[in-house]
Amino acid sequence: MAIRAQFENSNEIGVFSRLTNSYCLVAIGGSENFYSVFESELNDIVPVIHTSIAGTRIIGRLTAGNKKGLLVPNTTTDQELQHLRNSLPDSVQIQRIEERLSALGNVIACNDYVALVHPDIDRETQEIIRDVLDVEVFTQTIAGNVLVGSYCAISNQGGLVHPRTTIQDQDELSSLLQVPLVAGTINRGSDVIGAGIVVNDWCAFAGLDTTATELSVVESIFKLHDAQPTAIVKELKESLVDTYG
Amino acid sequence: MALYNFKRIQPIPAANDFLDIVLSKTQRKTPTVIHKNYKIGRIRQFYMRKVKFTQDSFDEKLNAIIEDFPKLDDIHPFYSDLMNVLYDKDHYKLALGQINMARHLIDQVAKEYIRLLKFGDSLYRCKQLKKAALGRMATIMKRQKDSLAYLEQVRQHLGRLPSIDPNTRTLLICGYPNVGKSSFMNKITRADVDVQPYAFTTKSLFVGHMDYKYLRWQVIDTPGILDRSLEQMNTIEMQSVTALAHLRACILFFMDLSEQCGYSVTEQITLYQNVKPLFVNKPTFIVINKIDAKRPEDIPLEEQAMLKEISEKDDVQIVQLSCHTDEGLMDVRNLACDKLLADRVDFKLRGSKINDVINKIHLAEPVARDDIPRPPHIPESAKNRPRFDINDPKRPKLERDLEAEGGGPGVYSVDLKKKYELGKVDWKYDIIPEVMNGKNVADFIDPDIEEKLDALEREEERLEAKGNYDSEENMIDSEEEEMNKVAEAIREKKKLIIQAHRASKMMKNRPIMPRTAIKRVSRISIDEMEEKLGKLGLDTNVIRARSRTRKRIRSESVGDEIVRDSLSVTRNASTSRDPSSSKLNIKQKKESEKQKKLAQRKPNLHAKVGESDRSIKSKKPKHLYSSKSSIGKRDWR
Repeated sequence: MAIRAQFENSNEIGVFSRLTNSYCLVAIGGSENFYSVFESELNDIVPVIHTSIAGTRIIGRLTAGNKKGLLVPNTTTDQELQHLRNSLPDSVQIQRIEERLSALGNVIACNDYVALVHPDIDRETQEIIRDVLDVEVFTQTIAGNVLVGSYCAISNQGGLVHPRTTIQDQDELSSLLQVPLVAGTINRGSDVIGAGIVVNDWCAFAGLDTTATELSVVESIFKLHDAQPTAIVKELKESLVDTYG
Repeated sequence: MALYNFKRIQPIPAANDFLDIVLSKTQRKTPTVIHKNYKIGRIRQFYMRKVKFTQDSFDEKLNAIIEDFPKLDDIHPFYSDLMNVLYDKDHYKLALGQINMARHLIDQVAKEYIRLLKFGDSLYRCKQLKKAALGRMATIMKRQKDSLAYLEQVRQHLGRLPSIDPNTRTLLICGYPNVGKSSFMNKITRADVDVQPYAFTTKSLFVGHMDYKYLRWQVIDTPGILDRSLEQMNTIEMQSVTALAHLRACILFFMDLSEQCGYSVTEQITLYQNVKPLFVNKPTFIVINKIDAKRPEDIPLEEQAMLKEISEKDDVQIVQLSCHTDEGLMDVRNLACDKLLADRVDFKLRGSKINDVINKIHLAEPVARDDIPRPPHIPESAKNRPRFDINDPKRPKLERDLEAEGGGPGVYSVDLKKKYELGKVDWKYDIIPEVMNGKNVADFIDPDIEEKLDALEREEERLEAKGNYDSEENMIDSEEEEMNKVAEAIREKKKLIIQAHRASKMMKNRPIMPRTAIKRVSRISIDEMEEKLGKLGLDTNVIRARSRTRKRIRSESVGDEIVRDSLSVTRNASTSRDPSSSKLNIKQKKESEKQKKLAQRKPNLHAKVGESDRSIKSKKPKHLYSSKSSIGKRDWR
């Protein structure tokens, strides 16, 4: 199920939220509209948690996590950490990381099994990612961009990457992640995929500007609503050629 | 689509309003006070500024008009042809050309009068010149009355044109009047076009939009066309022809076999044959409308044959629908859309831009690199969860509903602790201090942190006791101490050198000479110099004296005549240079004495101390203020 949402007139909802298979973090905004979009879909399934990180609302860019863990930057306050610990289920580990590249959401892209990280990230941090999130860690770039977290969105079912990723890169990344991948855009042509969409294994939320074509690509590649990724090369092909060509 | 937004053209005022606007702007924005006694340069400047400012305002306004209106050669041929049909290309270009000409003329006038103003010799002349300049500009503008009115009308019409994107996916509906084109449009889009049972209800192009296959489609309804030559066609029909000629669209040629429209089937087929050249290279359908009234099977055989002939000869598919009963409506739409899409995709795949798209239609499938299963984690509750329906009265209450009940955004404060997952429910709202006994509680959140610290410290102690750290340090010491000593000695030496250098260089309240210069001086000592000059027979005393320390000369020791003289004179009068030393004779002396007195007479009269005394002793001299004379009688005060 892919849903369109907006955070206080901004389409970059991936900046203000973090969605995984076992929890969902949402920024504290001026009203509850954005929170309720997530709540209506995820209530009773996973906890949907209001939080700030280091007093800011850009929690999606500052945190990284999956089903098993959550990584927060060292700027996170003790109170925020306590709040997260109280709200998250015990099965989720929380770790505060001393890392120079503190926007963890931008430098780490992960699902429950594999993580892609920025090439300049510390060795110790990689170790922590491996332990806390229980994933294999690969340093990678996406279409020449080091900010892997910003330019892709991945779940255990599939992944959407930067629109300028070459076919070779796609194949290589796909083999690393062991999920099908496709290049595409979000929010009517935006290439910052990670900022435009948050996704887990059964639902996705995209910015309000996302077109029907983009949304159908999202549904197919992430196998939402019983859609299959093969639809992209079959039914959707003509629409895609006509919109992007 | 933003490329063709004609709504942004600024309104154009009528010629008279135009003048009022510009002239009142000049009045408002330039200085207004001038006086005939001002310097002539200033007066000229004042009027030149007015003329220049008026010209600038005209220039700016006219330029805006010329820039705002689309240039027929630059825009898409569809729009340029449509504008030709609607507003007549020649007229349009002429109007803009005249505006441009007016601008040039105004510039010329301004230039001319500014030149004349430079020679204006009075306020009156300058003012007349300014008046003449503005008057001539106004006359030029008034002559543009018709052009401005025409352009304003064009602007209003352009703003109301439908925003047709000539490059997007388009279905184009055409045919005789009254065959049901607008009804079809209303059925498949939400355009809500006026449908009436008479011909030419649709008098211009209309646009509607619909969604199909995740894409947005543009549907254009055209006015009906009659079967006659292009020269005879009126503006309404020509709009249809323009659209047909320039838009790369799927053409739906509508036919009415029931002949309710008032044209026979044969006539409709002839029209098709005549406009056919416009359909080349475009996916085309012949749409038989009103099949609820008459189907193709029911018409005479020869007409059936004609239809069949064109469909076979031109490879045009004949489809049927009824807007009345909705029969076949969606099929026709889907068929048309699919064919157009296939056509466009085919065209694009042949083009060079396809390389940018190819990765977006490539699905990268993973190659297995190990045999670890990586299944998705979808909770059971997510699989068979009913969809959230905002209209369901029994839907679960969301935070947003609570917010609305609690006073709306900004008033309602969200309860962050509500969903805490702790051991007991009543622990949720327990207050935990942040700082206790001067220590951050968060640092002690780990229950056995003290033990861990102890363990670490014990290990440290153990290592220290074992001498783990000592041995390494000792080894380093023996080698390093030697090095350190040497380094220390070097540093000490360096410091001394620097000190000595500084001391030698220190300022002793005398100029520092460069070392090279000092050497040269020392080479020729004062003794050598004395000797040398002595040989030449010159007096060397002076030279020697200069190098010796000078002492104040004690007067008693000097046996000079002058000094003795001066001592005998009383000290209370200052003396000038001793006259005896000058070589004047008695006569000259007397003369100079006389001159001196003469020169001093006037300053003495005014009680001046000397040449430099400039004080005015009495500010209001009596003689100027005591007589009966009134102000302005005498000018020699």
